[in-house]
Amino acid sequence: MAYAVVGAGTDADLASGGALLFLAAVLVGHDVVWMAAVLTVGAALTRLPLRYGPPVRAAAIVAAAVTVVGLPLALGFGRPADNPSVLPLPYGRNLVAVLLAVAGAALLSCLLRWRRAVAGRKKSERLSEGRPVVPGR
Amino acid sequence: MVRHPGPPVTGGVAVLRRLVRWCLAPLPEPPTALRRGPMRAGVFRSRLRSARLTSQLGVALGVVFGSCFVTGLLSHLIQHPPGWFWWPAQPVGLYRFTQGLHVATGLASVPLLGAKLWSVYPHLFSWPPARSVAHAAERAGTGLLVGAALFLLVSGVLNVARWYAPMPFFFTAGHYWAAWLSVGGLLVHIGVHLPAVRAALARPTSESRPDGLNRRTLLGGVAAASGLITLTTVGQTFRPLTGVAVLAPRRPDVGPQGLPVNRTADGAGVRAAALDPAYRLLVVGPGRSVSLDLAALNRLPQYTAELPIACVEGWSATGTWTGVRLGDLVALVGADPRRSSALVESLQVGGRYRACTVPPEHVGDPLSLVALRLGGEPLHLDHGYPARLIAPNRPGVLQTKWISRITVPGSP
Repeated sequence: MAYAVVGAGTDADLASGGALLFLAAVLVGHDVVWMAAVLTVGAALTRLPLRYGPPVRAAAIVAAAVTVVGLPLALGFGRPADNPSVLPLPYGRNLVAVLLAVAGAALLSCLLRWRRAVAGRKKSERLSEGRPVVPGR
Repeated sequence: MVRHPGPPVTGGVAVLRRLVRWCLAPLPEPPTALRRGPMRAGVFRSRLRSARLTSQLGVALGVVFGSCFVTGLLSHLIQHPPGWFWWPAQPVGLYRFTQGLHVATGLASVPLLGAKLWSVYPHLFSWPPARSVAHAAERAGTGLLVGAALFLLVSGVLNVARWYAPMPFFFTAGHYWAAWLSVGGLLVHIGVHLPAVRAALARPTSESRPDGLNRRTLLGGVAAASGLITLTTVGQTFRPLTGVAVLAPRRPDVGPQGLPVNRTADGAGVRAAALDPAYRLLVVGPGRSVSLDLAALNRLPQYTAELPIACVEGWSATGTWTGVRLGDLVALVGADPRRSSALVESLQVGGRYRACTVPPEHVGDPLSLVALRLGGEPLHLDHGYPARLIAPNRPGVLQTKWISRITVPGSP
């Protein structure tokens, strides 16, 4: 760690003040802004019916991670005017498509869980209807 | 005669012991009135957080960060080789693999780091904030590790998106030193927490929860996120997955002559010089110098090689290059290609990558070319017309374009 601090401080190529500012910004940005958003969404998801929790939360994790990677591409601020080979795809549209696919997979999983629950309920109802009533038990 | 009960304590050892005692001595607890907001007990209620979850995420993150560090350090050493460093010309695609792995694992670690930091987030508000000086130092070290890890991933993501405005420093240098900071912090972190990690991983756990949301579901979500990010981006270097690489910053087949470009001729400010009919390639050797125009270069024996452009940003693409062997040009000025290095300079008047040194193992390799053609056609201006370097197993930034001069140092 000392090697890194001394190296960064003496590297003529690195504006160490700028790097330090960036380090502080990502730390504060993560611990204050990002985590507040994650905890708020997480708290909101606890209101979902219990059986739908796992697929929806897993989908939320996937969507958040894909957005972190895809958003700078979708914003396209790094696309130079004179070089069409840099960021050549419609990233905004593609990111939305990936997020919709994730949402679709979560929805499908929820539907399967709902159908299983309905089937399980019907089965238990049939079993209770067909069970002979034994007096005294 | 009085005998001392223990070994004699020298002055240095006594000072060290006092220092250790001082570091471990309990600090006075701050007033309870200050324990507000997230520092209150019971604020973070998720039962998903556990030492086992944190340990498993930490192990995975350690492996991924370790891989990123080794491949990144390798790329740095290739670009800034110290005297002891040696990098072969074969296998041709080794750098393509290591740098592709560097970027792919870096992107895949985004959800891992996010989940790891979520799992330990309550520790940020632990009470008291520091139990001792040693505890305060350990927490400060962890803060630096977290900052460095976030620095690496955020700057890496911004770099592949070519978005430099939010980074008020030279990306390569900042990324490099942050990597050392994170690896140092990681080693300290492992040293401090290894016993707890081993205990957490060895301890049997009961996973049953009424809502079915357990550690495995969360780990599954993180793995799915890493997998999806890899699937949608790795096609920028791994051709079989190009079709599904909808979030890849580059497509290996998109660009002039079917290859991507990192720096254009206009961006480098060389358009006029490169198109000038008076263009000459000057080869300066220990014995003699030659000046070759494009026609003279075309009259020399021509060779064709299938070689990749492997960018430090993680994308790569193979081209069919035709031109003069670099070794032949070096021999033309009286030097032994297998023992000579060569300084290759561009028409660019400035910039970090206007020149590169080619070591003997690359100069003497028959696949190292001063390319004049790509896919059978004269080079596109953005690919380095009239002549560019293309050599096996090198980063794209060291494949100098718009070559104006080759200098072979050494005595005749």
